[in-house]
Amino acid sequence: MNASLNGSRTTIRWGLALTILGLAALVTIYVMALAYTPLEVRQGAAQKIFYIHVPAAWSAMVAFTLVGVVSILYLWLRDERLDAFAASSAEVGLVFSVVILTTGPIWGKPVWGTWWTWDARLTLTLILFLLFLGYMTLRSAVHDPAERARFSAVVGIMGMVLVPFIHMSVYLFRTLHPKPIVLKPSTPSLPPDMLRTLLAGFAASTVLYLGFVTVRYGLARYELARRQEAD
Amino acid sequence: MSSWFRVTAAVATKDIVIEVRSKTAILSALVFAALVLVIFNFARDASLVSASVLAPSVLWITFAFAGMIALNRGFNLEKENGALEGLLLAPVPRSAIFAGKLLSNLAFVGMVEAVALPLFVLFFNVSVWRILPGLLGLIVLATVGFVAVGTVFSAMTVRTRFSELMLPMLLLPFMVPPLIGAVQTTTRLFDGRPLSEMIGWLRILALYDLVFVTLCVLIFPAVVDE
Amino acid sequence: MPDNASYMVAAYVVAAVVYLAYTVRLFHRAIAALRDSSR
Repeated sequence: MNASLNGSRTTIRWGLALTILGLAALVTIYVMALAYTPLEVRQGAAQKIFYIHVPAAWSAMVAFTLVGVVSILYLWLRDERLDAFAASSAEVGLVFSVVILTTGPIWGKPVWGTWWTWDARLTLTLILFLLFLGYMTLRSAVHDPAERARFSAVVGIMGMVLVPFIHMSVYLFRTLHPKPIVLKPSTPSLPPDMLRTLLAGFAASTVLYLGFVTVRYGLARYELARRQEAD
Repeated sequence: MSSWFRVTAAVATKDIVIEVRSKTAILSALVFAALVLVIFNFARDASLVSASVLAPSVLWITFAFAGMIALNRGFNLEKENGALEGLLLAPVPRSAIFAGKLLSNLAFVGMVEAVALPLFVLFFNVSVWRILPGLLGLIVLATVGFVAVGTVFSAMTVRTRFSELMLPMLLLPFMVPPLIGAVQTTTRLFDGRPLSEMIGWLRILALYDLVFVTLCVLIFPAVVDE
Repeated sequence: MPDNASYMVAAYVVAAVVYLAYTVRLFHRAIAALRDSSR
C-alpha cells in the first residue's frame, strides 16, 4: 500500500504550500486593514477587528458545513477517507472558531460596552464550538476506526441539522430582548474600500482554510496508510 | 406492521419493568431534583431576586439534568445485560428498537419530571393548577425532542469510557433550543400571558420534535449496525 | 480605560497567535510524516 503512503505525502506537501500562501494572504490583509482602509467614524479603531472576525466566521461556517455534508456521504459510501476529511475539517473549524470567539468579545467590549452579548452569531459559534469539541472528544474515546467514523458522522449530521434551530431560537429571543446598544456596528452598506478589504479577507481566509484542511487531511491519510501497512 | 409494534412494545416494556423494579434512576433523580431546588433557594438573595423570576429556569435546569441522569441509566441497563446485542442479532427493524428505546426513555424522563414538578411547586410555592394542562403539554413537547437525540447519543456513549461525561457533553448543545423555548413559554404561562405570546416558541418546539425524531429514527441504524 | 486602538491591536495579535500556533502544530507533524520516508 505504498501508493497511498506517497499519495498522502503529496497531499501534505500541497497543503503546506497552500498554508504558506494563506498565511501570506493573511499578512496582506493585516496590512490592508491596518494601513489602507479608512477608520470607521463611530466605532473607531476597534471596528477594524471586523476584517479578521468576519472572514474567520466564513471559514468556520464552510468548515462545519463540510463536516455535515461529508458525514452524510460517509454514512452512504462508508469510505474511510471521507471520515478522515470530516475530522480534519472539524479540527480546522475549531481553530477558526477560537479566532471568532476571542476577537468577538474583544470587539464587543469597546463597541457594545460588554464582553459578551448573547447575539445570534456569537452564541451559535459558541454552541458549535462546544459541539465540535464534543465531536473530537468522542473520536478520542472510541477505538474501533469504523465505529469511530460512524459515530462521528452521526454527530456531524445532527450538528448540521441543529444549526437552524439555534438560529431560530436565538433570533426569537433577541427580538424580544434587544441587547443594550452603545454603538450600532455598521454592516449594511459598506463603502467600497472597506468592502474591498473584507472581500480580500474572505479570500485569504478561504485559502488558509484550504491549506489547513489539506495538511490535516494529508496527515490523516498518512495515519490510515501506516495503519494499513501494519495490518 | 403489527410485528413492528410488538417489537417496540416489547423493548419499551422490558426496560420500564426493570426500572420500576430497581427504581435506581427514579431515586437518584428525585434526590438530585431536591438538591438542585435546595441549592437554588440558598444561592439567591431572597430580598433581591424573587423566587418567581427564577422559577421557570430552575424548573427546566432540573428537568434537563435529571433527565440526563435518567437517559444514561437507560442504556446502562443494556450494557449490564448485553440484551441489546442479542436483540440486534435478530432481523428486527431498527426503527422499532429505536421507538421502543425512545418510549422507555420518555417514560424514565417523564417519571423524573413527574417527581420533580411537585417538589418544585412545593419549594417555590407557585400555583400551577390553573395552567396545569398547558404546562404538562409544554413539558411533553419540550421533552420529546431532546430525549430522541439523547437516545441516539446514549446508544453511542454507553460503550465509551467516560459515558457519564460524554453524554451531557454531546447532548447539551442539542438541548439549547428546547430549553430556550420551554423556559420562555413557562415564564409566560406563569405570568398568565395570552397564547399569542407563546405561539412562536411552541412552533419552534414542535418543529424541533418533528425534525429530530424523524432524523433520529433514520440515523439510529448507523449507530447500532456495523 | 484603554483607548479603542489597543483593543484592535489585542484582537489582531490574538488572531495571529491562534493561526500561527495551529500552523506550527501542523508543520511539526507534517515534517515528521514527510521525513519518515524510508519506505
